[in-house]
Amino acid sequence: MTSIGTGYDLSVSTYSPDGRVFQVEYAQKAVDNSGTAVGLRVKDGVVLAVEKIKHSRLLVPHANRRIMTASKHIGVATAGWISDTRHLVKRVRDEARDYRSTYKVEIPAKIIAERMGMYAQAYTLYSAVRPFGVSTIIGTVDADGPQLYMIEPSGQYVGYRGCAAGKGKQVAKTEIEKLNLDQMTAREAIKEAARIIYAAHDDSKDKLFELELSWVCAESNGLHVHVPQDLFDEAIQHAERSLNDDDDDDEMEGDDE
Amino acid sequence: MMDYASMQFAPTEVPVEHHSHGGWEPYVDNGGTSLAIAGKDFVIVAADARQSDGYSINSRYDPKAFVLSNQTVIATTGYAADAKRLVEVMEQNAQTYFHKHDRAMGTTAMAQLMSNTLYYKRFFPYYVFPILAGLDKEGNGAVFSYDPVGNMERVVYLACGSASALVQPFLDNQVGGANQRGHEGGFLDRATARKIAIDAFTSATERDIHTGDWLDLFTIDRTGIHREKRELKHD
Amino acid sequence: MDPIEIRLPHTIQRPKATPNYGPRTHTTRPIVTGTSVIAFKYKDGIMMAADCLASYGSLARFRNEKRLMAVGETTLLGVSGDMSDFQHMQHTLESILTQEYDMDDGQKLGTKSVYKCISNIMYNRRTKVDPLWNSYVIGGLDNGEKILGYVDLYGTTYQSATIATGFGGHLAQPILRRRVEGREDELSEEEAVQILDECMRVLFYRDARSLNKLRRAKVTAQGVEISEPYMLETNWSFAESITGYGS
Repeated sequence: MTSIGTGYDLSVSTYSPDGRVFQVEYAQKAVDNSGTAVGLRVKDGVVLAVEKIKHSRLLVPHANRRIMTASKHIGVATAGWISDTRHLVKRVRDEARDYRSTYKVEIPAKIIAERMGMYAQAYTLYSAVRPFGVSTIIGTVDADGPQLYMIEPSGQYVGYRGCAAGKGKQVAKTEIEKLNLDQMTAREAIKEAARIIYAAHDDSKDKLFELELSWVCAESNGLHVHVPQDLFDEAIQHAERSLNDDDDDDEMEGDDE
Repeated sequence: MMDYASMQFAPTEVPVEHHSHGGWEPYVDNGGTSLAIAGKDFVIVAADARQSDGYSINSRYDPKAFVLSNQTVIATTGYAADAKRLVEVMEQNAQTYFHKHDRAMGTTAMAQLMSNTLYYKRFFPYYVFPILAGLDKEGNGAVFSYDPVGNMERVVYLACGSASALVQPFLDNQVGGANQRGHEGGFLDRATARKIAIDAFTSATERDIHTGDWLDLFTIDRTGIHREKRELKHD
Repeated sequence: MDPIEIRLPHTIQRPKATPNYGPRTHTTRPIVTGTSVIAFKYKDGIMMAADCLASYGSLARFRNEKRLMAVGETTLLGVSGDMSDFQHMQHTLESILTQEYDMDDGQKLGTKSVYKCISNIMYNRRTKVDPLWNSYVIGGLDNGEKILGYVDLYGTTYQSATIATGFGGHLAQPILRRRVEGREDELSEEEAVQILDECMRVLFYRDARSLNKLRRAKVTAQGVEISEPYMLETNWSFAESITGYGS
């Protein structure tokens, strides 16, 4: 980035001569430093997974969740700053509540995505504010079926079949592209999501991490919930096994367990 | 020069606050009776537990006397919803005081606090006739009497509520010894005071339809608060 | 020739001048109303009943109204009084329940909390002199403890083994007190249903704003269960001997 230090990166209210807003790009960098978050939209539901990097062994398990619930049927998984995340999740909750109290219907995915997009975008316009250092993945099942959206710090929001954010997003996206999402069940997708998080995890940089897995599907009664313990354990087993398989493949073929 | 003799004067109107709008009155009387008797080193507080609305009994056990600290009790009568909110406010303030100062608020301080709490709502009052009772700094029995807007007086004994017109004269006679030749004056002993409190409620239950079912009786002394629950007639 | 009378279409006729002084008249009376709710404790938990009628004055306007609802997993709510105020309350509760769900802390809103919550809403509205024109009966199991409470438009609250709102307070409550009081922990479900039906039958006979189509509900350790509407057996033969009742 040759333009660094030329003074165009101090405010979101000024473009650089080549038409960029550096503060927004820096916000994206904050996201890229974060643990990986993945969302998968499959035929009967939507699945969210997060690699929550732990900075200390003293943390209580499940503390500081990075997958949160924003309404009974809306799950939010994020990559980026957890403090910004909490602010954005509060916003999702408020929007969902307002919509429900106006229309007595749960907010459709594309509307919540649009509103969150507009909200994020408003923080790219004024010199007094800083864009959010968060990519927000929203997973829900509404009247039109399973939905998955991701909102970037720029305010850009896009609907996805599968998406990823955070430091492992390249690996994750490559893996997601190999999946046949339209044919997959949520139960299968949970395992795949776990596997992808494990694959994207870089053990040499971040030793400690905790996997978070949640879904919205028929099996969860249309509610956003963290997956049941037995499925969670199964998913981790699957993830670890395929990691080991990969390692074995690197060395040699065959060699039955 | 004014000719006052031939002038017509309209009667002076007293400004009275009205809180009814469109005919709806935001108050109800839920009946009930409470009393307190101070002794030299103790105090007795008693309140029945019936809650009624007109001729209907809402509940046979809806307590209206509450412990605020290890030396103070509040008993309420009047409008139950306001009474409960008043008690909540007092409890919260007592609690906050305890956490701030690491000791319970004294009875006399609590008495002043209640006066302020009531007066705070002077123009939309809590429709409650509370009694605050406990031990003062010297360890003497203390009873405080209030009207709904916070006028306060320290007394030796007191009855409030739907049977107060029955119980207060009884207490005047048995505790105060008012205008009785040969009455010795001074404080009652604990057993006598307790018996008078119970008798007062037994008799009030006979004649007042809003009093009865159960009696909560508190005896407060240096060792703390002793609580009894006694049965009254359920009719 | 007759003079031509010019009449403006009603849509542009000016309304009668409304004074901006005097008493406020909105929310000072119920419009579409439900009648009694009755409820009591029995061995396994709480039983409750209400009919399916929402009256518009003396008109039996809506005859398939739900006046019993579950709040969370262990709480039952019965309502009498204004139905629109009830719908507002439903809305508020739904919002609170969603907020609690979003917390994702494994806590569930218990019956005591729901009761306190509704009571606060009711008392706060009466304190604004803009009451929700309802009587609510809240029943449920809170950590195995049977809770049965009442709150109305005055914010008046009480708990009791038997509760009946409105007309039920006069007609059903004496029956409930006789048959339930002191037996809350021994009454079987069969007997409880029988008592409930007896009370609802008496109410149907004498409450002109009632309907012989009702729901019954219970809260037990298994959760909340609200029945489909059903009818009670009635016998009007006595009416013939009463002048002015039948003919």
